[in-house]
Parts: sequence; structure tokens; C-alpha cells
Amino acid sequence: MAVPVLMPRQGQSVETCIIGEWYKKKGDQVKVGDILFSYETDKASFEEEAKAEGILLEIFYTEGDEVPVLENVAVIGAAGEPVEEFRPGGSKPVEEVKTETVVVAEVVAEKPTVAIRESSDEAVKISPRAKKQAETKGIDYNQLQGSGPGGRIIERDVVTAAETMPVMTSLAKAKASDEKLNVGAETSGLGGRALAGDLTSNNQVYSTDFEVKKLTNIRKLIAKAMHASLQNSAQLTHHMSADARTIMALRKKLKKDFEAGKVSQNITINDLVCLAVIRALKKYPQANTHFLGDSMRWFKKVHLGLAVDTERGLMVPAVKNADDLSLEGLSAQLSAIAAQCRQGNINPELLSPEAATFTVSNLGNYGVEMFTPVINLPQTAILGVCTIVPRPKDLGDGIYGFVPMMGLSLTYDHQALDGGEATLFLREIKEQIENLTI
Amino acid sequence: MENIFDIAILGGGPAGYVAAERAGAKGLSVVIFDKRALGGVCLNEGCIPTKTLLNSAKVLEYAHEAEKYGITVGEVGIDFSKIMKRKDKVVRKLVSGIGAKMKHAKAEVVMAEAVIKEKRGSEITIEAEGKTYKAANLLICTGSEAAIPPIPGLDKSQILTNREILQLKELPKSLVIIGGGVIGTEFADFFNAMGTKITVIEMLPEILTGIDDDIAKFVRAEFTKRGIDFHLGAKVTKLNGKEVTFEKDGKEEKITGEQVLLSVGRKANVAGIGLENIGVEFTPRGVKIDKNCRTNIPNVYAAGDITGFSLLAHTASREGEVAVNHILGRKDQMRYDAIPGVVYTHPEIAGVGLTEASAKEKGIEVEIRKLPMAYAGRFVAENEGKDGFCKVIAGKKYGEILGVHMVGGACSEMIWGACALVEMQLRVKDVQEIVFPHPTVSEIIKETIFEF
Repeated sequence: MAVPVLMPRQGQSVETCIIGEWYKKKGDQVKVGDILFSYETDKASFEEEAKAEGILLEIFYTEGDEVPVLENVAVIGAAGEPVEEFRPGGSKPVEEVKTETVVVAEVVAEKPTVAIRESSDEAVKISPRAKKQAETKGIDYNQLQGSGPGGRIIERDVVTAAETMPVMTSLAKAKASDEKLNVGAETSGLGGRALAGDLTSNNQVYSTDFEVKKLTNIRKLIAKAMHASLQNSAQLTHHMSADARTIMALRKKLKKDFEAGKVSQNITINDLVCLAVIRALKKYPQANTHFLGDSMRWFKKVHLGLAVDTERGLMVPAVKNADDLSLEGLSAQLSAIAAQCRQGNINPELLSPEAATFTVSNLGNYGVEMFTPVINLPQTAILGVCTIVPRPKDLGDGIYGFVPMMGLSLTYDHQALDGGEATLFLREIKEQIENLTI
Repeated sequence: MENIFDIAILGGGPAGYVAAERAGAKGLSVVIFDKRALGGVCLNEGCIPTKTLLNSAKVLEYAHEAEKYGITVGEVGIDFSKIMKRKDKVVRKLVSGIGAKMKHAKAEVVMAEAVIKEKRGSEITIEAEGKTYKAANLLICTGSEAAIPPIPGLDKSQILTNREILQLKELPKSLVIIGGGVIGTEFADFFNAMGTKITVIEMLPEILTGIDDDIAKFVRAEFTKRGIDFHLGAKVTKLNGKEVTFEKDGKEEKITGEQVLLSVGRKANVAGIGLENIGVEFTPRGVKIDKNCRTNIPNVYAAGDITGFSLLAHTASREGEVAVNHILGRKDQMRYDAIPGVVYTHPEIAGVGLTEASAKEKGIEVEIRKLPMAYAGRFVAENEGKDGFCKVIAGKKYGEILGVHMVGGACSEMIWGACALVEMQLRVKDVQEIVFPHPTVSEIIKETIFEF
């Protein structure tokens, strides 16, 4: 009995996923637990394992296709079993289409056989057939105007483009597809052919001096979130610094304890700062909030977001109920979510800006002395933790000495908090850090 | 109402007469001026007469080598005046052919020195023999002549250029050639075959500048075997009648020839044609043109040697065509990447595109393959005891054919195929799919390309 392979649902907010790579081919024998394909959400990538044994009878979506969650992606069953009932949208099999005349193929291609979700961030809508054609012909489909339903690019558009585009020399073709270039306004080759030298990236000023790289989904998401944050809030930053002697001494002691096996975690300065922040938030709950325009969410618990730098871009996972955790527990959770982000297997739910009530972004390790972190909306504030630098301080009796001071940069949304409140809150963080006890 | 020509052409060489032909065929009214003879340097004192002479040398070579092919011939001799007469006949025939073409194109031919007088609005005035001609467009293609450098003691009446040497009545016993470029080398080959003692004095370290280095070396080695003396890196410091003094490695040497040929380069004919009367931008090196062969003045075009670069008849013709197409509003433009260069020595040299040296100079990463001509069966069959090679230069990343250079046999006849490969930017793997006729010498290109 043939069974479909579904696009899994990764979290409540995820509606489509993009297939990254197929590890099995149509016709391959698969066992339960074999990795079939990888797929990506906006935030992370995952691998899907086979849940049934048999032959991979059909693959409906290929690499790069955006697939609605819970849609049939493939079929596993015994050799010869029919697969058509599982085909998304119930269209004709692709093989049949290939043998038909071009006209018929076009008609079929026009049917919305593959439901590509209309996503708001301007993903190019193109049918898999059209995409394949475009890739073979070396046509940049990003520039095509789709004539299919909802402006989707279909095979016909690619064929027309191929006919009307200037003929490229074989070198020009290879170079265009390799370096993602397009034919410029003028062609200089034999009979109007486009020579390799006529290729250009879109900007005529810089000519071919750069290549156009598509943004990854995560980059697009970051871009959107950052821009939205600056557009939709009234954010400003206060800077202050905290005497770091206590926290450094604590860290030193805890490190020894860890090496001696007395504590389970290698507690970092950041863990200690987070502990101080949680304590401060408990005293100033107006900073542990979401600003919603006409109302605010005042959270009873602290769900602490931590900015994590990964190869794929910035991620801000949350530690839920952080105020319930011991220092060791907090440290364990912070390092776990950071690791999951870097490995790409973080639960997408934890990446939602709504998941955290307040965020800490620590650039101290990189030597940053002061910065203006950007609020992760709808949160009302974010703390930037800076590097520790020695500063002169009155040690009493008019004696001055150099003391290690940790920079703290609090960005807050003036819509939600006033300067006085924010300053008091930042002071509280400073005092928590200066007087931290476990 | 005065007649206004669609196009006036100054110069009846390969740029001018081809432009006249193309323009006439498209229904434009044409007036073409030449002060000497239709066909220009190419036909009258360049390409055609020299190729005619070199063919006589080739026939002589066959006769001498007939034995190798199992053919017995009687006593072999040369009749210099007959050779020269045949050359004159060939030139006359082709010149009259151009006359016929001009008639066919309904072009008015004015055999007189013409001077550009003025440009008023869209009207360009040209004067020749006291008569004025008006035209809407002007194509300047007055060509070039042998450059005469300021060598102390140089007496023009004592030396020959390409023009005078073609009018020799007597075969000289010895010939000193100053300048080992294409012209010098071809004359060296011909007169050497005729039995003249040849000495070539070249200022640069190698003869045939611009030709692939390996090929130049190969040909020089071949010529040295035949008894031609080469003085490379030698600068002529003085001329005294037919006595040539040159300096080489700091030492001064003297050599006297029965005749002395000066072939050190060409000089664009920019003087005395009235360029300044309409403000055409030019330097002593030539008239500046753009890719459509336009000068800085609207409706004024230039083509051929007068531009000062790519001094080749076929470049000139193509430039003439591009200019006419631009006048006609047809999309066309010059491309200089795939212009073939040919030297009609025995062995012949033919090349197109980048050379190893020019690729290096431009910093283009290339891969190079080279094969002896013996890889082509027909070459072996027809060239007893002869040699040659083919060199192909391709881009490193994409394998596009950037240059093809050959020496040996009649490689000039197949270089156009290599031009098409370069012009079309075909890659090694594309060319590998082309069917070459077997057995032909041209297969050497395919063989070399399969070396990649």
C-alpha cells in the first residue's frame, strides 16, 4: 500500500518549507529512518526521514520548490503501485506531459499544478517546468513577467523569452549562467549576437564587477525585522557601565568550581549578566513587556532572548521561563539554544520575536565598547552588553584606581517606556551586576 | 540644383572601393576619388603583386624539389622580367575588375587628388581638379605609405620602398632589407628564392613583430637555412648611398647591397587632404574613429590604414562596410578580436586572435596546445621534408578559443575558419563537435583542439 511523504509542519507559524536537497532518487529503495530530503523554513533547516519502507515511487517537488506544509512531497510504496491519487492538485503525471506537443504542455503548465504559496517577501513565482527550462536555456527568470495565474512564470514565458532574447555565443551563455549575468542593452557580436563582453549585471555603472547573490531566507527575514523595528518604534539607547570586579571574581570562582567538578556548567560572564538582567526585570516588569500599539503585554515570567551569531545570520532564540532557572540551569539552556541555532535544528517556535519578553545581545567578546542594539519587536527593550574596559574610579577617600567596567547599552522603545523608567531599569541592571550573589 | 552625393569616398583602396560597392548596392549615390589607381596600395603595390611574385617563387621551389616527389624536370631557371610582367598583368586585370565593380555600383570615379574643403550644415564639399563635389556623408580612406625614418644620410633616390622594389627591371645580386616585419620578410623570401643574397636588419630582438613568437623563430630558422642573414636588435645609424651602417651590441657594422629596401613601417596619409578644414580629429599616427568608424565630425567616417591601427586590407574593407552600414542605419560595428593576420612566406604564416605574448600582456589566463603539422595526413602527403605547427590558445576557465596560430603549408586559406571560432566565442568542447573534411591540412586545428 503506497503512502505519501508529507512536508512536515515545523511549528505553528510555518506555512511553507523549501526543499533543500533530495538524498534519494525516484526508484530508490528506502528503509524507515533513511534521510529522504532536507528542507528549510525561514529560520532553520531540517531533514526528513522515511517513515515507511518501500520504493520511492514518485517525487512531486524538486529542489528549491516551496511546498505548503502537510502537502504530499513524494510517494513510497511497492513497485508498480499507482501514485496519481497522491499528486498535489491532482494534475496529470509529468511524464505524460513531456511526450505531448508543446501546445498541450503549455496548457498543462498553466494549471496550478504546484501550489506555490504567495509569500509576501517577493519570492519569484515560477512553475518547476518553467524553472527547469529557464535553467537549461540560461535565462534569468527573476526578470521575467509571469503570465500564469497570479503572475506566476510558466513555461510559455520562458519559451517566449528564449525566442526574443538576443542569441548568445556559447561562451556568453556559459559565462552568463556561471556568473549570473545578463545581456546588456547593446550586443556587439556577429549578427547581433551577445558576446561574453556584452554581459552585464544589472547595474551599468559597475558593469560586471560584482555578482548578484540572492538573499537567503533568513537574511530576508532579518532585513525585514530590522527595518520594521526601526520604522515602527521610537527607539533610543542609554549607555552606562557597571563595576565588573564582583562578576569577574564570581566567574573566576565558578570556573574553578567547574574544573573541580563542583558545578555542572562552565558559567560564563554572559550567563552571569543574564542572571542579573532577569533579576532586574523582576523588579522592573515594565521592561518585561511587548508593546502592541494600543496595549501592552505585561509578562509574569521572564522569557529571555539571546542574540546568537551563526554562519547563516543572526538568530534570537528564547529561553522560556528563565526566571525559574538556577544559574546552572540558565547557563545550560543558553548554551543549548545557541548550539541548536548554529547547528540549524532549533525549534522555530523559539525563534519568534514573540517568544521572548526581553533580549540580551552580548558583543563584549568582540571588544565592542558601546553600541545601539535594535529592538526585537514587539519587545520593548534590549540590552547590549559591551566589553570590559579599565576606567578610573573613586575608591573612597579621594583615592582613584583603575577598575574594570562593563559597558551596558539599553535600547528601549520610548512608546512604551520613558527615559526615567529606562534609566532606573538600567541602573538596576548595573547594581545587580555589581552586587551579584548566587 | 547641384547634385549632392549620398557618400563621397576619399581613396579607392580596399576600404574605399568595397564601401563604394556596398553603398552602390544599397542604392546610395557614390563619388570615389583616387589620385593614383583604384585598388590602392593593396592591389597596386602591396598584397596582390607580392603574392603574384611569391607564387613564382613557390613554383620555382616545386621545380627544385620535384625530385623529392619522384618527378624529373629539366634544367630549372628563372626569367625575372617575365615574372615581373606576369605580376603587372595580374594587377592590371584586378584593377580593371574594380573599375567594372564601380560601374556596376553606379559610382562616379574621379581619378584625381581630392581635398576636403568645408562642411556646412549637412553638406560636405570636396574639391578635385578645380571641380567641387558635394556629399551628405564622407568616408576618408586615403591609406598609408612607407614610413621614411630620419636616418642620417638617407637618400630617397638610393633606396627602395615596397613601391619601387616592385618596379625593378633587373634582379639584384644582393639586397639589404631594413625592417624585418611582414613586408620585409615577404620580399626577403621572394628575392632569396630568386637567388639574391639577402640581409635583414631588424631593430627588435625578433622578426615579424606581433606574430606568435614560436612562429617567428621557426620562420627565421628556416630562412637562415636558406642563406638569409639576420641582424636582430640592430639599429641602422647611417646610410651612405647603398651602404648601411648599423649598431648591434654596441658594435658598428657596415653592409652594402646592390639594392636597399626600407620596410620599417607605414605612415598614415593624413596630410594634404583637408582634414583640418572640417576639424577632423587626427594625429600624425592617424584619424581617430569609434566602433562605427565615425570620426569626431558627424557624417564623416574613416576606414583603413588612415586610422593608424590594424593596417590590413581586410580590416580596411570591413571598416568601409561598417561605415556604410552606419550611414544606412543598419546595426553593425567593428570588432578587432578576430582579424586574421597572414604572412605569405613559404612556409605561410596565419594567425588570429590572442598570441601567447598578448595574453600574458593582458593578464588573461589561458591554456595553450601545440601540435606539429605532421598530425594532418594531407600535410605529410604534400609537403615532403617540410614542417610547421599549429598553436591554439583558449581561456582557462571556459575554454573559449582566443587564438589560433599556424605556420606551414597554405595555412592562410584556412585561417578564416579559426576566425569564425574566435568571433563566435566557441569553446573547445563546441569546436570538438565540428566535422572537418578528411584529409585536409585544416584537420590540424581539430587535432590541436582535441589536445585540450
